[in-house]
Amino acid sequence: MDTQAKEAGIFTSTVDFVVNWGRKNSLWPFPYGTACCAIEFMSTESSRYDLSRMGSEYVRFTPRQSDVLVVSGTITYKQAPILKRIYEQMAEPKWVISMGACACSGGFYDCYCTVPGIDHIIPVDVYIGGCPPRPESFFDAMFDLQNKIADESYMKERAERVRDQLEAIQLKTAECKEELISCSHAKVDELKGKAEGLKRDMIKKATFWKEP
Amino acid sequence: MSHCENRVETPVVATAEARQEFAEKVLPILESRFGAVRDEDDQWGFTVVVDGAQLRNVVLFLRDGHEYRVNMLLDVVGVDYLGFKDYTGPRFAVEYALKSVYNPSRRIRIKVRVSETDCKVPTISDLFPIANWQEREVWDQYGIVFENHPDLRRLLNHAEFQGHPLRKDYPAHKRQWLSTNDFLLPELEARLEAKGYKIISRSKEVVPDAEEYLTGSIKQ
Repeated sequence: MDTQAKEAGIFTSTVDFVVNWGRKNSLWPFPYGTACCAIEFMSTESSRYDLSRMGSEYVRFTPRQSDVLVVSGTITYKQAPILKRIYEQMAEPKWVISMGACACSGGFYDCYCTVPGIDHIIPVDVYIGGCPPRPESFFDAMFDLQNKIADESYMKERAERVRDQLEAIQLKTAECKEELISCSHAKVDELKGKAEGLKRDMIKKATFWKEP
Repeated sequence: MSHCENRVETPVVATAEARQEFAEKVLPILESRFGAVRDEDDQWGFTVVVDGAQLRNVVLFLRDGHEYRVNMLLDVVGVDYLGFKDYTGPRFAVEYALKSVYNPSRRIRIKVRVSETDCKVPTISDLFPIANWQEREVWDQYGIVFENHPDLRRLLNHAEFQGHPLRKDYPAHKRQWLSTNDFLLPELEARLEAKGYKIISRSKEVVPDAEEYLTGSIKQ
């Protein structure tokens, strides 16, 4: 870059790069395990495969502290509101991995009680096939997610957010203005009517008392 | 000491002869006392068909009325015979699988036929506490009412579910969404109170209105 600092120990970069670097290397998962995929997730986490090599060090058991919702297992209709609430409790930015055939599409449970894919309830970033998928496929999904995060732009999102807010404010302002105008018009009309009435009264009085 | 040794020396195993003997011993008593009929469709096991009114007497008799003491309820199963080949009889049946914890060859299934118009069976949840949830499940999936059951609610399906999914005439591809979580805190509080804990403040359910529930949903 042109503005490269001359002093040692300083380098310049973009905010996007730094933010995404931080985000993608500390993806703390929330394990929503309901079936055998959760067992596979355990082996992904533990020492042989060791998911913490990629920065997913801590498995957080509260949605407030986690970044990735790992839905591993069959989701029934009875459980759907719970999953949705957990997703809503997670703080932004948040991502969702749908692990295994059941979470992706309902799997072979084509029946009255199983949700045919969690994307009916919450948005999903990465799908993993398999019944259950091996830890390698889980790693693959994490790499995919990291690539996806690297493509995201924090500044762009911020600009969009600011633009949305600005638009909302402008809309609200215009609404208020219109309301104010209509209100003042009504007031003016009212006052005019009053003045007219007064004038009429005055004229009436004047004509009454006018000397012949 | 000798008692212990005796127990070790005679391991009890299930044999075909012992099962046959059990069936031959018990069947006449059930036939004469309760009007039970052996189900010939069950070729490998021992099933008796009894009337719903006699069910409790039969279960009580098997549990502690005679020397065999068939005192363990394994399962309560509902059956829907709609569309069953060459079958003319009441539409539903409830089967009770019982066995003895003292001898594995003493096992028996009791079948009660239930018609669709009078879909009722007396409960045995006071005789076998495990039957409480089993009967709830059968009611949930088949809609068979267990009379005098203390708490006949749905067990597996959610609270807003309509119909009974394991009936043969339930549409196979019908799906039913649940709109909200179960509110289980009063139940928990009652249980804590029963154990002697004091409830300082009772929780109140926050019922989200439809619009609030859809906030942030991708389904709207």
